[in-house]
Amino acid sequence: MVDVQPATNALEKAIPVLGERRNNRLFTPWVSSLLPFVFLAALWQGASYYSTPFLFPGLGKIAGSIWTILTTWDLLSQGLLTWARLVGAVLISLVLGVPIGLVMGLSPRVDHFIRPLVKFFMGVPALNWVIIVVIWFANVEVRIAFVLIVLCLPITIFCVYDSVRSIDRKLTDMLLSFGANSSQHIHLLMWPFVKAAVFTSAKLNVGNTVRTVIVAELVGAPLGIGRELDMAKNLFDMANVLAWTLIMVAMAFVMTNTIEFLERHTLRWRGQSHATG
Amino acid sequence: MHADPQSVSGARPIIRVRHACKSFVPFKGRSVEAIRDLTFDVAASDYVAIVGPTGAGKSVLFDCLLGLKTLDSGTIQIDGTQVADYVRRKSGGIARIFQEDRLLPWLSATDNVALGLQIRGVPEKERRAQARDWLEKVGLGRFADALPSELSGGMRQRANIARAFAIRPDIILLDEAFSALDEITAMKLRSDFQTLAHAQKMTFLIITHSIEEAIFLGNRILVFGSPARLVHEIDVPPGAAEDRGLVDSIRAEIRQCISASGRDDIASRQA
Ligand SMILES: Nc1ncnc2c1ncn2[C@@H]1O[C@H](COP(=O)(O)OP(=O)(O)OP(=O)(O)O)[C@@H](O)[C@H]1O
Ligand SMILES: [Mg+2]
Repeated sequence: MVDVQPATNALEKAIPVLGERRNNRLFTPWVSSLLPFVFLAALWQGASYYSTPFLFPGLGKIAGSIWTILTTWDLLSQGLLTWARLVGAVLISLVLGVPIGLVMGLSPRVDHFIRPLVKFFMGVPALNWVIIVVIWFANVEVRIAFVLIVLCLPITIFCVYDSVRSIDRKLTDMLLSFGANSSQHIHLLMWPFVKAAVFTSAKLNVGNTVRTVIVAELVGAPLGIGRELDMAKNLFDMANVLAWTLIMVAMAFVMTNTIEFLERHTLRWRGQSHATG
Repeated sequence: MHADPQSVSGARPIIRVRHACKSFVPFKGRSVEAIRDLTFDVAASDYVAIVGPTGAGKSVLFDCLLGLKTLDSGTIQIDGTQVADYVRRKSGGIARIFQEDRLLPWLSATDNVALGLQIRGVPEKERRAQARDWLEKVGLGRFADALPSELSGGMRQRANIARAFAIRPDIILLDEAFSALDEITAMKLRSDFQTLAHAQKMTFLIITHSIEEAIFLGNRILVFGSPARLVHEIDVPPGAAEDRGLVDSIRAEIRQCISASGRDDIASRQA
């Protein structure tokens, strides 16, 4: 077999060249990814000229609504409350899901026992949970937390489980041949893989909860974006509906990017083997 | 520091394998015999080269020597104690260098080399200092902070060797440690390894498919049949690697043993 160094070198050299070429282009990738949205906005604005404001409110009106939300504490706090619920649910599902996934990955017996349950819970639609918790719990926060966590948990468990199972048997053997005990095995070998799974599952769950939190809030939460949207619906206030929608999309975007930033920072070693653009 | 003065005395066997047998029941199909009635001794500061056909159970033997796999029957004693106890009693008394480097991709070269020390509970500052020392010794001093992905194949294998030496084992097991490298790198690493092992007065067992490597590194060559059993043993006189005639005659001897044992094997299967 031949030394792999020349190949790696060639690749490393090739990547900055690629980057340079990109910078010389008329549009940087960032700008070019904005273009479709500019197109969408223009289309919307066009539609607003030929329609009533309660179907297609103009961009200015939507921007005004966003501004009002961001500058009125009474409204902004509703957004922050929903956001806190999201973050809380994602974090709690990590705290619960990581040990479960880890133990499943370590023990086939635990795996055989828990896997069918996790699959069962994965099949229950969000709305069914909402109805169940309304009957079960009186406390609104408990209702919302329960729905969100029960939706996030299976994803976290499977991500962690898969990461543990993906560990190369050869690395395990190497560690054991140095006499590692099981806590060293988890700490030195499994934990770095679990960390990667934590980021992946957090990203998936941010999307997951952003899409379901409103469903949970709509059924009987006196505070939060869900209630604001409910009121906007009753008033046919499309500008407000869109303002909240855009705020939630931005929320998910910011959270996903934050997680990706932390991921890149924590898992820098991975960036070395898979060059990211 | 960890060197046990008794274990380098020379005469007493440090490894004693008696009637070892090991079979596997694979996922599908019939059971596979990997080791059959294997018996041999290794004296302290012996340099043993093991050669034999592929699939003979040589790597499985190493797993058993490390206590990672247990024998079906027979015994392995290291330094007078059963393997399971030896591994538990002084973890790191025996170290293995694998064919692939098996470095952890998220750790720097220093932390990878320090891994064995970390497992044995050596405090961080001390183990990193020792690891840097070993990196220096294998010629990777400038790459202490590099990640494995930033090293070439040969450099990674050097780090792999340093990691095994860092725990100052009495015994080192090398499983085709140089076969993934180009011949020039392998040659350099082989002689570096030899210098280090001799300086540390370590016993080593090396599995290899290269008869030149076996003659260069070993002072004894054990020829295994398949499944693993001792079919022949050759004492290598010092400096044999430079003597072309001797190398050729040892090569012929080994070839003949392996093919003869192969015929035995086929004959016994047909019977
Ligand atoms: N975990 C296992 N489960 C089932 N069979 C195994 C296992 N490990 C090894 N074997 C079998 O044991 C036999 C010996 O394998 P081993 O890896 O020791 O061979 P080897 O002598 O090291 O060969 P090579 O020179 O090619 O490395 C093979 O037939 C292999 O299929
Ligand atoms: Mg092998």
